[in-house]
Amino acid sequence: MKKTLLVLKILPFLFVFGLLDYVLPQHDIAKITSTTEIEQNLSWMNRLFYAQADSGNVASDKRYVRFINAERRKSWLFGFFPRDSYGVMVYRNEDTGWIWPPYFKFDTSDLQAEADAASSLTGEEQWVVITHYGWRNKFFSIYPNVVGIREISGPDVTIIPWFNIFFFIFLAVAYFFIRAMWRQFRERSVDPLLEDAGEVWDKVDDHADAASEKARGIWGRFMAWLATWRKK
Amino acid sequence: MGFIRLVVLGFIAMTVVYFAISIYSRSIRREKLEDAWDEDHPEGGDTAARDTYIEQGMVEYEHGFRKKLIWLVYVVPPVFVAAIWYITNNQ
Repeated sequence: MKKTLLVLKILPFLFVFGLLDYVLPQHDIAKITSTTEIEQNLSWMNRLFYAQADSGNVASDKRYVRFINAERRKSWLFGFFPRDSYGVMVYRNEDTGWIWPPYFKFDTSDLQAEADAASSLTGEEQWVVITHYGWRNKFFSIYPNVVGIREISGPDVTIIPWFNIFFFIFLAVAYFFIRAMWRQFRERSVDPLLEDAGEVWDKVDDHADAASEKARGIWGRFMAWLATWRKK
Repeated sequence: MGFIRLVVLGFIAMTVVYFAISIYSRSIRREKLEDAWDEDHPEGGDTAARDTYIEQGMVEYEHGFRKKLIWLVYVVPPVFVAAIWYITNNQ
């Protein structure tokens, strides 16, 4: 029972962690090797991890999706510690539109052209920083979505995740602000009400005590009367 | 359609935040006025005078600059949306 409760308490944290890990931007140091466009037939398993249909189009589970193939520098711990090994990565390139996640991305075609322009396919090695959100999962056929490509001179660059820094500062400030609001609300509005309610409750309690005393009296007398019928 | 949805949902969310902050700010102001009165009148003072003092302070707050700052709730998020939109699409 205790273990079940513990799991129930951990689940919301895991959910929030997963959500932030999915939605917040991350940076990969990579070389673009090629770009493709493939028809995707989305199912209930991976539908959630693709963008909505373009705003003028009918919502269909069949669509062409642009992909960017890359060779990226591997890293530990969300990209904080770059490693010296490299691996392939496939990104998708889709509009997020106006709603979710709130990147307000509309430049998919331009981004694909940028990716082509920055491609190392032409022979010259060109390193880029790929800003993306999302996960790659081979089993579900889901891909991180590229939101930006920036050309850099080499793979040894330090990337400071400014957006995430400000986002977490904002989150902390919002947490303390809401806590302060809640405390003020309790102190000024709920506690006085509770004090009143407490007084009412005390009165009810007194009545109940008196009533139970009375009832005990009747019950006691009844039991005493029953006892007179017992054999002695 | 997505844009209309964003505007409507965003407006509702910002309105909720605006009213929450308004109530909180007003509550803080009133508490500060109460504390200020209690500090000046350690033995309590006249109740009617205390009420007048607090109500007058609240009227001043209602017409003050601080209260107008809460309108920033409607200004900052759209600015952020515009900034994110610009950074994502024009770089």
